[in-house]
Amino acid sequence: MPSRKPGVNAPEPFRQQLLDTLPRLRRYARSLSFDHANADDLVQTTAERALAHWHQFDQRRDIRVWLLSIAHNAHLDRIRREQRYTLVDPDQLAERREAPAPGDPGLRMDLLAALARLSVAHREVLLLVGVEQLSYAECAEVLGVPAGTVMSRLARARVAMRAALDGGAARPEAAPNLRRVV
Amino acid sequence: MTNDKLQPPDDEQLSAWLDAELNEPAQASVQDWLQTHPDDAARVRLWAADRDALRARLAPELDEPLPGAWVDLVTTTAPVRRLGGSWEAMAAQWVLAVGLGAAMGAWWARPGNEPPPTPGTAPLAAATAPATPDTQEPWLQFAALAHTVYVPEKRHPVEVAVEGDPAAQAAQEAHLSRWLTKRLDVPVKMFDLRDQGYRLVGGRLLPESNGPCAQLMYEDSAGQRVTVYLRRKGTDAPASFRYEELNGLGLFYWVEGPAGYALVGQASRERLLALAEAIYRSGKDSIGSVIE
Repeated sequence: MPSRKPGVNAPEPFRQQLLDTLPRLRRYARSLSFDHANADDLVQTTAERALAHWHQFDQRRDIRVWLLSIAHNAHLDRIRREQRYTLVDPDQLAERREAPAPGDPGLRMDLLAALARLSVAHREVLLLVGVEQLSYAECAEVLGVPAGTVMSRLARARVAMRAALDGGAARPEAAPNLRRVV
Repeated sequence: MTNDKLQPPDDEQLSAWLDAELNEPAQASVQDWLQTHPDDAARVRLWAADRDALRARLAPELDEPLPGAWVDLVTTTAPVRRLGGSWEAMAAQWVLAVGLGAAMGAWWARPGNEPPPTPGTAPLAAATAPATPDTQEPWLQFAALAHTVYVPEKRHPVEVAVEGDPAAQAAQEAHLSRWLTKRLDVPVKMFDLRDQGYRLVGGRLLPESNGPCAQLMYEDSAGQRVTVYLRRKGTDAPASFRYEELNGLGLFYWVEGPAGYALVGQASRERLLALAEAIYRSGKDSIGSVIE
């Protein structure tokens, strides 16, 4: 890849805001991909895109929402790219991506193992609303879906999370929901 | 849902109630429902507990240090020129302040004045990579590697931890200092960097081709860590105070009396400089000797 210096013109306050948000972006990225190298890659891509398009950011708005939506889209791009080069059934692929590698040292048990069992769509809403504490409207903006979708998806995600924590094996409606992500 | 002649709230409404995302009347009516339906109330409480647990579980991730490559990516403007100017001025001040004028000539030629490394390379890979022709100090590679390996550790960042109440901390510091001094055969002091905002996490003994060496780890209130690497001076070690960058890690290094020091971190050069200066002063006091 040729050397690129994205956003050399980005103003200082913007850079500072971006820098301050990187830990949150990383945390979100890790919830999308439990592979830390992949997650780091996603954060880096997000930062590069943000620097390249800094002028599109409206300073009156919350930079977290803007950056998280860039990360979300970058993640979708990657899933599409990976699917293009695979002969595996996309549903299967999705299942496989979500299942944590056995003995993955990055997984602190129980809670995160349960989280990892959920579909990406469910993880996203749990993280964005539950952990990042975005409103439904902000979450909808990040995901590019109507607020009503966030509401129903989150309800199902909570049920799925509980089932995963209770029984371990249950994966209710993970697959049908995935279809709606794109 | 079992007992209902009224309209029972569905999962979506219960979930949205938890997030206070319903409109006023709906919020109130779900509230009423929950007061008379303990099963539903219990489910919602569990959801809330799951949410809180996840929040607590993931909170520490915000405190992990950021890779230097990211910091460079975000903070580096049209390279070196602007950054370099102010830095060189500061470096010159430092050199004058500690009376290391001789280091100056060497300073300008250091690779640290070059643009930062390409973002995206894994720090570990770079730290284990062969030394660049400019890196005259192979032990710096080791100092950087040790930093990269231990700094992300959450549970076992150090071999001997300094923690507990002040008396316990003092005892552990004294123990660490005695132990490392004995093994390295150079005076090892626990530098006090609290004025710079860093507390001592602890230290560990490490093997190097030169013999035993030590790593002290410090942490600021945001959880950002720096390490001080100490070794017995090699025959070829220069006395001058120098700065290098190894893939996003900044390293200040110098030799003082019988010991070689390297301060390693991802903090800005200015911040590292302030820390290095404090360590230098404090190390000088302990040894009672002056460079040169």
